[in-house]
Amino acid sequence: MAEPILQVSGLVKHYPLTTGILFKKQVGAVKAVDGVDFELEQGETLGIVGESGCGKSTVAKMLVNLEKPTAGSIKYKGEDITTLSGKALRTVRRNIQMVFQDPYTSLNPRMTVGDIIGEPYDIHPEVAPKGDRRRKVQELLDVVGLNPEYINRYPHQFSGGQRQRIGIARGLALRPEIIVADEPVSALDVSIQAQVINLLDRLQNDFDLSYIFIAHDLSIVRHISDRVGVMYLGRIVEIGKDAEIYDHPTHPYTQALLSAVPLPDPEARENRERIILAGDVPSPTNIPSGCRFRTRCWKAQDRCVHEVPLLAVPPHLRLLEGPQAHDSACHFAEEKQVVPAEEPE
Amino acid sequence: MLLEVRDLHVEFRTRDGVAKAVNGVNYSVDAGETLAVLGESGSGKSVTAQTVMGILDMPPGRITAGEILFQGKDLLKLKEEERRKIRGAEMAMIFQDALSSLNPVLSVGDQLGEMFTVHRGMSKKDARAKAVELMDHVRIPAAKERVKQYPHQFSGGMRQRIMIAMALALEPALIIADEPTTALDVTVQAQVMDLLAELQREYNMGLILITHDLGVVADVADRIAVMYAGRIVESAPVHDIYKAPAHPYTRGLLDSIPRLDQKGQELYAIKGLPPSLMHIPKGCAFHPRCPMAQDVCRTDEPPLYEVTPSDGERGSACHFWRECLHG
Repeated sequence: MAEPILQVSGLVKHYPLTTGILFKKQVGAVKAVDGVDFELEQGETLGIVGESGCGKSTVAKMLVNLEKPTAGSIKYKGEDITTLSGKALRTVRRNIQMVFQDPYTSLNPRMTVGDIIGEPYDIHPEVAPKGDRRRKVQELLDVVGLNPEYINRYPHQFSGGQRQRIGIARGLALRPEIIVADEPVSALDVSIQAQVINLLDRLQNDFDLSYIFIAHDLSIVRHISDRVGVMYLGRIVEIGKDAEIYDHPTHPYTQALLSAVPLPDPEARENRERIILAGDVPSPTNIPSGCRFRTRCWKAQDRCVHEVPLLAVPPHLRLLEGPQAHDSACHFAEEKQVVPAEEPE
Repeated sequence: MLLEVRDLHVEFRTRDGVAKAVNGVNYSVDAGETLAVLGESGSGKSVTAQTVMGILDMPPGRITAGEILFQGKDLLKLKEEERRKIRGAEMAMIFQDALSSLNPVLSVGDQLGEMFTVHRGMSKKDARAKAVELMDHVRIPAAKERVKQYPHQFSGGMRQRIMIAMALALEPALIIADEPTTALDVTVQAQVMDLLAELQREYNMGLILITHDLGVVADVADRIAVMYAGRIVESAPVHDIYKAPAHPYTRGLLDSIPRLDQKGQELYAIKGLPPSLMHIPKGCAFHPRCPMAQDVCRTDEPPLYEVTPSDGERGSACHFWRECLHG
């Protein structure tokens, strides 16, 4: 297989907690991301799911260099981008673009759509279209399904879904190879969500893009992703192909998460087992020892307190060679079907 | 019938014109029943609820027609003073955003206790004891200690439990929950919905659940009313609607959500945008986005046709509901 386009290893982001005004003393750290590894192949979509506070957005910010990692490396085509600066960093940034969650605050209200989408060309003049920039912007508007005549309008004249299309057009302007989308549809209405998801699907085929798709909605992530990673408290606890995660989850947290998703099918409510987790997610300033999920886990034993489970194929599942043999950070990983199997029609 | 909304019309007068937010809504809820009101933003689902509660800002809002019968009385004919007695005691509301619905400078105990001192004339001490009891009831651990804490000291799920406790305080006959779990994570959402359903059974309350989430609806509702541009376009028992929707808008919504249990192909997408409430299309409001629209849809507004067969009462505001049902 070809070299992955993006290789993330040991990625850590700690925000220091300090006391004192003049003489700051570090008293602890918010461990937002605490050791994340994954790879992204050319042309694939990696979905990252997790609840709020699990660190998925911080990972996204580090990928596009909006945050500097505390430790770890992000290799784009073999080159570690966390140590780059100046011109070399600019080139990498051009190839990794981001689409943000909130289409209301991520577009400057005082700029026209044409200026918003064309602004990346000011920063990267080497890829700016020679001559007619306006026409290029209109082409981009057309690509994302907006009327090219809207080029002189302002963001407030558009609906939420249309604004998200503008954000996507801006992301595409520099012809990037990777798009990091952080909750790109969660602020949109159901009927508009589908339009934007289909657009992202189409663009991936047309422009051969690789996506990191971050969301809390497990159904949408399954729809769009080839592989899925589940995050909990700053770490990936389980990662695999979409069917491996959704149909053969082995980590208790993934199982609980999947079982909690309401299904749009009233027939399913009686014959479905729900795993209701006790309590809340622990604070990222005070992460439990051993397995970080143990405080809410129904399987937790002594071993989980002392020994950190590694993200790897669990030895006892490796022999089976089935879809259950994928990376899962649990000492007692065991397959459990929680999403009712699709009925044959 | 506990609550019956009849032909309700609400509009907003703005500088740019009149926005018709609610255009002839009918629905009813019985004790112990859960009605889900489903719709996208701007469909009028929250405005209807606020009108029922009597917390609509007037002006700019104006109720132009309709009746709201609660335990047989028309609420719209009551004086504000009488409505105030009903609000909180007989019907209560749970809002989406618990953090902004709670007062940040009062402890949760004071806010819960206020229900009893104001409505029941209890002493502060008794009210505090009641507050602890309520917090226990919605399963907030260490209620006795936490009663003195302030809203920011609670997690999102815990705050929503406090909102539920506050709504339940005076044991109302009806609860209106406006997107109660939208701001919460899935695992916490499941905890909160379970709690709400359990308390509803315990007190035999009527529950109106306002949501845009078809999954949540399928999990808890008995009946569904689907709203579009200020009208109910389909109303049916929950099993019927998921098996075979009788309105193209409902069908479109169901087809456009990705499924957890299936790896889908391209999603069906309803084309276009919801209409502006200042310029609702003539005839059927959905016709510009409808794949089944005919000439009659552009001219004649469809009434709510009775749909048969059904396990209960079922209606669809589509001229072609038969075709939709079997299509």
